[in-house]
Amino acid sequence: MKTSNLTFLLLLLTCLVYTGCDDDDGPSIMEPTTYSFERDGQTTVSFSGQTARIQMGEELISAMKNPAVSAATLLEMFRNQTESGGDANPFSSAALNDETKSIASKVAASEDFFSSNTATQAAIRAEFEAWINAQVSEVYPRWEELATAGIAGQIADGSSTRYVNAQGLEYNQLVNKSLIGALMLDQALNNYLGTAVLDAGMNRDENNDGIVATDKNYTTMEHKWDEAYGYLYGTSPSEASPVATTGDDDSFLNKYVGRVEGDDDFAGISQRIFDAFKRGRAAIVAGDYDERDVQAQLLREELSKVIGVRAVYYLQQGKNALAQATPDFGGGFHDISEGYGFIFSLQFTRQPDSRDPYFTHEEVNSMLDDLLGDGSNGLWDVTSTTLDNLSNMIADRFDFTVEQAGS
Amino acid sequence: MRFLFSLLILASLLSYSSCDDDGGGSSTDNFDRAAMLLSWADQVILPAYADFLEKSSELQTSAQALFDEPDATTLAALKSSFAEAYLGWQSISLFQIGPAEQVGLREQVNAYPTNTDGIEANMQSGSYNFELPSQRSRQGFPALDYLLYGSAADETAVLDRIVNEAALREYILATSERIHQLVSTVRETWVSSYRQEFVSLSDNTATSSVNRMTNDYVFYYEKFLRAGKVGIPAGIFSGTPLPGHVEALYNKALGKQLLLAALESAQGFFNGLDNSGVAHGNGFTDYLDFLNTVKDGADLSQLINTQFEAARQAINNLDDDLSDQVREDNLLMLTAYDELQRNVVLIKVDMLQAFNISVDFVDADGD
Repeated sequence: MKTSNLTFLLLLLTCLVYTGCDDDDGPSIMEPTTYSFERDGQTTVSFSGQTARIQMGEELISAMKNPAVSAATLLEMFRNQTESGGDANPFSSAALNDETKSIASKVAASEDFFSSNTATQAAIRAEFEAWINAQVSEVYPRWEELATAGIAGQIADGSSTRYVNAQGLEYNQLVNKSLIGALMLDQALNNYLGTAVLDAGMNRDENNDGIVATDKNYTTMEHKWDEAYGYLYGTSPSEASPVATTGDDDSFLNKYVGRVEGDDDFAGISQRIFDAFKRGRAAIVAGDYDERDVQAQLLREELSKVIGVRAVYYLQQGKNALAQATPDFGGGFHDISEGYGFIFSLQFTRQPDSRDPYFTHEEVNSMLDDLLGDGSNGLWDVTSTTLDNLSNMIADRFDFTVEQAGS
Repeated sequence: MRFLFSLLILASLLSYSSCDDDGGGSSTDNFDRAAMLLSWADQVILPAYADFLEKSSELQTSAQALFDEPDATTLAALKSSFAEAYLGWQSISLFQIGPAEQVGLREQVNAYPTNTDGIEANMQSGSYNFELPSQRSRQGFPALDYLLYGSAADETAVLDRIVNEAALREYILATSERIHQLVSTVRETWVSSYRQEFVSLSDNTATSSVNRMTNDYVFYYEKFLRAGKVGIPAGIFSGTPLPGHVEALYNKALGKQLLLAALESAQGFFNGLDNSGVAHGNGFTDYLDFLNTVKDGADLSQLINTQFEAARQAINNLDDDLSDQVREDNLLMLTAYDELQRNVVLIKVDMLQAFNISVDFVDADGD
C-alpha cells in the first residue's frame, strides 16, 4: 500500500515534469536526423513530380543552346504537349516523355498568388513562350555571327561564348533563372507551404487520424510538404541528407542555395533551410500545425533571400565587368542576363507572415524596364548608376547590404 | 596548425584591408611611374611584339611554302618555324592589355585544349570565320599543334594527310596567317594610339597603366602560367589529373620548353629585362628596391627572384612531354605547381601591397 502510493506520486510527478517541458504546445515533435519519415516501416516521402519537372527544365535550357532545335520542340518541352494539346515526346528521356506533368502548367500557378490572378499568370506564361520563340527567331539565325550593339549574335566571355539578342540578353538565361522563381519558388512558397494547400479539404482531420491518400502511404498534408521539399532537393543524390551536395544538384534553386551558402556573409543558410523543411515535416507527423507554419515562414524568408542575394550579386558583377577600362561586354551581359532572371523571380518571393511578395509583378516589370532603359540597345547602354540603383532597391527590402551580396 | 593558418589569413586580410582604406586612390611614394611606363612601352613591350612578328611572319612564309609544295622538307621547315613562333609567343602572352585585351588576343592565339572535332568539321565544310568567339578553340598555336603533329596516327601518316588534303594545308595556312595578322593589328594599334595613352596614365588609380599592367601581370602569372600550364593538367582544380590539357599536347617535345620560356618572360618582366635580357632599371624589382620592401628580414625582390629560381629547378625536373609527366609521375608536376604557387603569395599579396595597388580581378563563379 505504501509503495504503491509512492509509485503513484512519482508517476504524477513525471507527468507534471513532462507536460511542463512541452509547455501545452500540443503533441511533441519527434524530429529525425535526416529527412526520412516512415509509416508501417515504409517511407512516406514522395516528390517524383518535382524531380521530373526539374529534369524537364534541364533539358529545356540545354536545348535552348542548340540551334538545330526548332521552336516547336522547345515549346513542347515547356508544355509537354503539342501545339494542339496532344501528347508530345520532346525529351531525350523516355521517362520524361511518358510524364503527363509539364513545366508550363506549374508556372505562376500557386494557390496563394495566382488562383484568382489568372491574367497575370497568362502574361507570365506568355513571356516564357516569347523568350523561347525569340531564341529561335532572333538568336539562332545569328548563331554564327558576331553580336554588336542592336544586333543579335555571339559574344566572347573569356573562353566561353555567349549568344545574345539585340539588347545583349541571353534568352536561355532568362528562362533558366526566371523558372527558379516562377516554377520552383512559387510552387514551394506560395502553394505547398501555404495553409490554403496544406489544410485544404479534410487534410487536417485525415492527418490527425493518420488516414493516407488513396493507394499511397502518406497523408495528403505530408505529401504537399514533400512537394515543396522536392522543388529544392528533387535531383539530390541523397534525398534524405541533401545538404552536402546542395549547389551541385541542378541548374535551378538547389544550385543557387549552394552559391549563396558559398558567400561567407550568408554561410549557414543551406543548413537552416534543410532544418526548417525537416522540422516542419516532423511537426506535420506530430500534428503540430503551429510549429509547421513557423517553419514555413522561415522557409519563405530564407528562400526568398536567396533570390534577392543573387539578383544583387549578378547586377554588381555585371557592373564590374562593364566598368573596366576595356569593358568585358560578354562577361557583363552574361551576368546581367542571369540578374534579369533573378529580378523576374522576385515577384514569386514571399515575405514571412504576409500575403505579399518582396516585389510585386508591376514593380518587377518596372525594374526590368529600367535595366534596359538607358539607351536604345539595352545592356549595351546600361550604366553603373542604373545597376547600383536596382541593387540598392532590392537590398533595401531584405536584411542584407549590396556589399554583402555583391561579392 | 590550422588555427595558426587561419590566424595568418586573418592577419593578412586585416593588413590588406587597412592599406586599402584610401581606396587605392593616391600614390604614397615618389617612384617615377612615368619613366617606368616609358621603359615598359618602348624598351620591353613594343620590341617584344616586333620580335614575335618576325617569327610569326616566318611561320606564315613556311605555311605558304608547305601549301605550295607539300613534302617532308617543307613540313620540317614549317615545324621548326612553328616551334620558334610558339616559344616567341610566351614573351608577349603576358601583355594582355589595351588592344590585346580588346581583341582577346591570348584567347585566339593560344586556347588549349584545342577543339579537334571542330577543326576537322571546319576543314570539311571549308567555311569558317575565325573572328567568332566560338571559333577560338579551333585556331591559334594549339590548332597548328594538332594539324602538324596529331591529325593522324604518326608522323608519316600526318605527312600523307598534308600531301593529300588541300583543305588541311589551307587550314594550316589560314591559321598561321591569322596569328600573324592578329598580333600585327595589336602592335599597330599600340604604335598608332595606345602607346600614348599607356604612358600618359601614370598616376595610381584603378585605371592607370601601372595598376592595370601590374594586375594583368599577376592575372597572367596566376591563371595562365601557374594554373593553365601546370595546375590544370596536374588536376589541382579538377581533382583528377588532366594529361590532355597540357600545352603542345601533340608535339610532345615542346611543352616543357614553352613553360620554361613563359617563366623566363615572367621573371624577365619582373626584373625589367627586354627580350634579349638587357635590364633597363624599371622593373617591379627596381620599384620594390626603391621602396626598400623587406619581408622577414630579406628584400622582397630577392625573395621573389629566389622563388622564380626554385620554380625553374622544379620545372627542369619535368619530362619534355608534360602530358607524359602527368601520367607517369604527377608528383613532380605538383611539386612544380607548389613552387609556382609560392610566388603568387609574394607577388599578389606582398608586392601589390608595397605598390599600394588593389587587385582588380576576382575568381568568377564559373557559370
